Amino acid sequence: MALMPKRVKHRKSQRGRIKGNASRGHRVVFGDFGLQTVQGGWISAATIEAGRIAAQQYLRTEGRLYIRVFPHKSVTSIPLETRMGKGKGEPDFWAAVVKPGTVLYEIGGVSEEAARMCFTRLAHKMPVRVRFLRRRPL
Amino acid sequence: MAEVLNVTFRETRGKHNAKRLRKAGSIPGVLYGHGEKNVSLAVPADQLDMLVHHGSRLVKLAGAVSESAFIRDVQWDTWGTHVLHVDFTRVSEDEKVELQVSVELRGEAPGVRQGGVVEQLIHEVQLECPAGKIPEKIVVSVNDLELHDSVTVADLKLPAGAAVPGDQTVVVVQCVEPVEMPELEAAEAVSGEPEVIGAKEEEDAAGD
Repeated sequence: MALMPKRVKHRKSQRGRIKGNASRGHRVVFGDFGLQTVQGGWISAATIEAGRIAAQQYLRTEGRLYIRVFPHKSVTSIPLETRMGKGKGEPDFWAAVVKPGTVLYEIGGVSEEAARMCFTRLAHKMPVRVRFLRRRPL
Repeated sequence: MAEVLNVTFRETRGKHNAKRLRKAGSIPGVLYGHGEKNVSLAVPADQLDMLVHHGSRLVKLAGAVSESAFIRDVQWDTWGTHVLHVDFTRVSEDEKVELQVSVELRGEAPGVRQGGVVEQLIHEVQLECPAGKIPEKIVVSVNDLELHDSVTVADLKLPAGAAVPGDQTVVVVQCVEPVEMPELEAAEAVSGEPEVIGAKEEEDAAGD
């Protein structure tokens, strides 16, 4: 099941802008290795789920996968062949807004080689360029 | 043995001055502790990078101040390549300090050959240790780890005078049978919408 908030204050949100790099959520915290975005963008709930499935199918019973982003933003769209006007469209999907540097996923309990292989499979699902990250002691 | 770090006093404050300092090849830092006055410092970036990458925590400050200090905290940039700021605390070599030390596994567990999986549950432990004997990391050998065996905090080999406060029965690493994951369900179509906070109250108010 794709991720979605349980309760929201407003059904629709404005587009917003992505400025600067991530100043939080840019370190590996829970696992041993992480997947960090190099670009900013919107990552839809379906994409996050696709990444999770790709990683979980590779990991199977080993290790643990952590998802570090959540789709808080509702994205609206208007039906095809609709005339201009008549207000904002209806919510279509939910997306996580990520700044460059945000850690998207983390893996713990596997070797670095396995984590790299897993993230390579996962990275193919992502709409942004990503890089491999290790946990840093200090 | 503590590494020597040549520091200078830092008169300037604020992010613009800090940026200028970093461009000039220094890192802003601060020294505090022992009930004495805080001192703002500038540390050479190359020396500090080398220390941090080697995992040193105890340093001997020279230049503007001359005393032993413990690297309490390091701020990194988004990409984890450059140090932005460093915190030092005043310590003496025998003084006990509390810090997080990473736990690293070494060897190959016999339990894996029996079909088990090695799970590391704790990656860092809180250590109380004399400042002069801070280990870079705590190495745990899993060469004797059979299936259904575990290594607890009490089993960790710590340097002399060091201790891990708290529960000693906490499992650090264990070898368990792999758990079968439930079949992955196809992503269901997003059903409905989330509840809108305050929407019901507004509707009720409009109905009245």
